[in-house]
Amino acid sequence: MRVVVAEDLYLLRDGIVRLLEAYDHEVVATAATGPETLQALLTQQPDIAIVDVRMPPTNTDEGLTAVLSAREKIPGLPVLILSQHVEQLYARELLADRAGGVGYLLKDSVFDADQFIAAIERVAGGGTALDPAVVAKLLGRPGTASRLAQLTPRERSVLALMAEGLSNTAIANRLFLSESTISKYTTTTFDKLGLHDDDNANRRVLAVLAYLNETHR
Amino acid sequence: MASRGRERIRASRGSPGSGVDRPGAHAGSCVCGRAGGSAWSWSNPWSWAGWLIILVVLALVFARPLGDVFRRLVGRWCGIRIEEGYRGPGPDPVRLSTGYWWNGHSYERSRRDAELDQRWRRRISDPAYWRDVRWVAISALTVGPACAVPGAALAGAVIAFAHRSATAVVIGLLLAAVAAAVAPHAWRVTGPLADRWLRLRLRLPENSAMAERVRDLQAQRADLTTTQAAEIRRIERDLHDGAQARLVAVGLSLATAEKLMDKDPTRAKALLREAREGTSNSLAELRELVRGVHPPVLVERGIVDAIRALALDSPVDVHVDASGPIRPEAPIEAALYFAVAELLANAAKYAPSAHVRMRLRARESAVEIEVEDDGPGGATVVPGNGLDGIRRRLAAFDGTLNVDSPTGGPTRARMVVPCASS
Repeated sequence: MRVVVAEDLYLLRDGIVRLLEAYDHEVVATAATGPETLQALLTQQPDIAIVDVRMPPTNTDEGLTAVLSAREKIPGLPVLILSQHVEQLYARELLADRAGGVGYLLKDSVFDADQFIAAIERVAGGGTALDPAVVAKLLGRPGTASRLAQLTPRERSVLALMAEGLSNTAIANRLFLSESTISKYTTTTFDKLGLHDDDNANRRVLAVLAYLNETHR
Repeated sequence: MASRGRERIRASRGSPGSGVDRPGAHAGSCVCGRAGGSAWSWSNPWSWAGWLIILVVLALVFARPLGDVFRRLVGRWCGIRIEEGYRGPGPDPVRLSTGYWWNGHSYERSRRDAELDQRWRRRISDPAYWRDVRWVAISALTVGPACAVPGAALAGAVIAFAHRSATAVVIGLLLAAVAAAVAPHAWRVTGPLADRWLRLRLRLPENSAMAERVRDLQAQRADLTTTQAAEIRRIERDLHDGAQARLVAVGLSLATAEKLMDKDPTRAKALLREAREGTSNSLAELRELVRGVHPPVLVERGIVDAIRALALDSPVDVHVDASGPIRPEAPIEAALYFAVAELLANAAKYAPSAHVRMRLRARESAVEIEVEDDGPGGATVVPGNGLDGIRRRLAAFDGTLNVDSPTGGPTRARMVVPCASS
């Protein structure tokens, strides 16, 4: 895969590049500022971009802004946002265009290289990768509590993994259950929440998030 | 006795006519003229009121020069330095769009009038001036007589010598001796007296607005320094017992894993996993710590979005309503953020099923945040509680917290912090 890495801290950027190269991905461009990131995203049109939220020159949300404006020009451009902290607010902004191909993970997620690379590949394929911390916050929304209360603990954990962007197979692996059991759980979960079951992983995430958003307020 | 009675009759006979003749506006010159003309008497105010008025006017006019003279002399002779303490000139008058001049106190037609008015107001309201006026009276009663003793004694001696009788000569000699003995000491009383009365007391009246302001600021400063110190201690402890200790453990695990790599690869792998978990945990701790020091979203997005993020993370249902861009200075932003966080935490604790409405508004020179919930109410600001903490946090910026929370609800907290918000 052709990857763009945007990160202002040299050590971290270098580490990510080395990790990607170890997994046989090609880093076509690196960027250390917001404008550089936007430039690289638009000219390279990579299979996936890994972008830090806070970057020079303003050291605010440069990376996020660059990603959002790049995706306005190239809808669905796969992007994985890495940050030291996760905010529901940013997750909602990233998912708002419903084009998929969005990842939003804590920087710690690079510690588990296999899972990190899996997340990159999922996002590059148009899927979604949300940090469990964001998902936990999303599921903790008021208003959702009453509907979510109908779910069994098992169904809840399946829902959480689904919201992270995992496929049934991946969920099955994570929970050490068979895939057919998982698909049974997803069906009952979707039924209880009044959502349509769908094979497309991204659609599933969006459905879950739409549900969570709607019940908020 | 008899002569004084006659005097009174004469004076009372004379005064009605002239009092009627002259209108009230000229009363001053009238009584002065009369005072100069008629004999002096306690019971006849007309005979001394004029002099009193003249003395008062002179005292008011020459208070400052006299004070200056005393300050200079006391400084030169007694080595006591006394500050003049007079206020500087006020701000220049500003011309308003109406054409009038505003000098900080009143509107005047011309710049000259505005300056004159301001100068008079500042002079009259200057405590240093009234101190000098007071000094005129005090020195007249203390330093004056003390300095008059040698002169008076000398005069007495001269008069006594003029009588040329034996007793008179003795009295004269005595008086001359007194004059000679007292002369060097006459000025001695001035030093301590000036030190006590000519100094401008900086202790402001207890109930004056300025004194209140000073007390407020002192309390705020004390609050700030103690909370700041406590905060720094907390951060230090968190880092020391948390991230630092964990990183040491991670280093140890890595060192051991390196040693075991060849001999016992399974144990080495377990240690590496441990090290990774250790870094994960210390990162999580650091993240929490950073959030408590200065929330990243506040840096990245400013107060409005930071509060939106807070609202999203809150377990209670929060509706945020913000009008226009609101970007106060960073310290104010942080204070408001933590205040809102505290209010939301309170709502979550005491009214978990409540609906919260939050309104953020940038007014001309202030930011206003209103947080309203339909919880059970009964919230009060008690010294040491969370609301008191908010109040004190905001007070550092001259901000205010008003809590209206009748039992049964709703609770409305209104925070206003003055600043240039946009």
